[in-house]
Amino acid sequence: MYGRKGCQLLKELSSAEKGHLPQFNSDLFEQVFAECSQHHLELQSLIRKMQEEGLDVQTAKNADHHGALIHHLALVRNKRCLMAYVYNRADNVRSLLWKIGHVLPKEIEEKLSHSEEVYFKKHSARLKSYMSSLQVDLTVDMVPPKDPYIKIRVLDDIGEGIVLSDDKTANFARHSIHFLKRTDAEQFISRGLMEELTG
Amino acid sequence: MAGQSDSELSLFSAEELEFTAEDEIVEIVPNLKMPPLNLISGDFGPFTPQIVTKVPLWLAVALKKRGKCSICPPQWMSLEKLTQVLEAERDSQEMSEQLPFHYVEISRLLFEHARDNIPDVYMVRSLIEDIRDVRFHKVETDLEAFSGRTIAVKIKNLSAMEVNIVRPFIGRALQAFYKHDSPELIPDPERVSDNRPQVVNNAPRATSKITFQVTCHIES
Amino acid sequence: MTKYYDIDDIITEEETVSVIFQKAASGVGIDPSAEIDFIEAGSKVELPFWLAHELQLRQAVSVNVPPCFNQKTRLEIQADSASVDLRSRCPFFYEFGCKIAPIVADRTIGFLLFSAFKSRYKEVLTKAHTATFTAGSKFWTILTKEEINLYETAQSAMASFKKWRMGGARFQVASILRRKRKSTE
Repeated sequence: MYGRKGCQLLKELSSAEKGHLPQFNSDLFEQVFAECSQHHLELQSLIRKMQEEGLDVQTAKNADHHGALIHHLALVRNKRCLMAYVYNRADNVRSLLWKIGHVLPKEIEEKLSHSEEVYFKKHSARLKSYMSSLQVDLTVDMVPPKDPYIKIRVLDDIGEGIVLSDDKTANFARHSIHFLKRTDAEQFISRGLMEELTG
Repeated sequence: MAGQSDSELSLFSAEELEFTAEDEIVEIVPNLKMPPLNLISGDFGPFTPQIVTKVPLWLAVALKKRGKCSICPPQWMSLEKLTQVLEAERDSQEMSEQLPFHYVEISRLLFEHARDNIPDVYMVRSLIEDIRDVRFHKVETDLEAFSGRTIAVKIKNLSAMEVNIVRPFIGRALQAFYKHDSPELIPDPERVSDNRPQVVNNAPRATSKITFQVTCHIES
Repeated sequence: MTKYYDIDDIITEEETVSVIFQKAASGVGIDPSAEIDFIEAGSKVELPFWLAHELQLRQAVSVNVPPCFNQKTRLEIQADSASVDLRSRCPFFYEFGCKIAPIVADRTIGFLLFSAFKSRYKEVLTKAHTATFTAGSKFWTILTKEEINLYETAQSAMASFKKWRMGGARFQVASILRRKRKSTE
């Protein structure tokens, strides 16, 4: 009560490694929600008590008033904690699109709540429609380009028959080395499925 | 500032800075014959074997990689000139203005791709490292002199890479000083006088600005 | 208002301060040592800063100076601020101090913060730009969160420069996936 659990939610978020997203703590989230209702109930009962005594709620500054005030402040504080939790996570989810791409690996997907997954999908669809209206792919060349083609080694089995941007198909077996267009390889590298070879 | 670099820090990634530096003009000696290239950034060429031509650095590196030219190291990248610059840096607290704005990036690109075109390449490399070290120490000394009254920081003749490394640190440090040395927190009679005549707070306390005054002397 | 969503700001405001209630309050169980949920006027309670601040604005409580700004700490800071363990006093020493200063009747906190920061900043400056300094060292454990922020800014700028200088692969795995990647499926 009194904002302690709300703050705990945020401490979890802040103690996670920088850039990493911890699991959405729906248990704690629900508990903070429940606390809000409880504060509200107490607030209401104190105000009712004041009204029964015939006092003007706005101006009478008795003990009940201060009690109600404290409950109100705790409620507002919980609200702030919840909002900040959702807001900061949403920021992180949005940035996933730029760091990883439109397809999320399973280990990241597990950490998102259902509504965050929906948010990501909608955001990704929006970006795609925007990019196609401009006919520019904004998610490539995150690092300034040097050469049009780069040499890569496949780290994980990606599969066969992957269609690349120039409509050729390729088979990416593990440990195979390919000479790919930089823009094609970029999305695989950022997901950790390929690595760039130099020299 | 794009992509994988950290946008909160207002830091250009080093690769992005290198990209900007690749627009600098260098001289090459081509070994092929080619008509002029009409690019968006300008017209370069025509290329005739053994005739010195001026091209942007990215084009020079691309040609060099394919074995179509050799790159002439810029004038400032000679053993004598660099030794002189190092002496000048060590003697004075001011930054020397003899090196171009992008000297760090240009030198690294040339070491990577055109090592055989640079005479005494190992000496040159170690001289540039030493110069960089000395200059950076000077920057650190300048940064120590911060106080709450610092509204703008002026360091002359910094190169692009040096500016980029310290920019986020200076920004945050200035913000912190600004916050702590505000009149609300420190009432006037208790302020420590910095051996200056006590000026009434007329200095604008709007936003702290960082101005890097860069006067480069680019040798053609 | 710009700090509404800021996580560090919210955590800073959770720090406890001790207050003295000027007026009574009923129906609140915030004092865990009390048996009934009624706070008498004049009783001393430990409250989180956000609550104390709001109540003080309405003149319901008066706030005491928190222990992290007590005389012992002040003397230590005056003697050698660069070695004082500020983090154990309060991880957000400076932020908290800035918030506390206007509401307690103590006008010297601001100056204390400034002089501590100024001398520690010099240490952070010199140490941050050398690569040999790591998170495990003793100096790092005594820095407050704000100082660590400053320090890490310089470190990461320096590190990315060094990495660029070495050359090598330019494309990287997304930072969020790094170190958690299983290499075998």
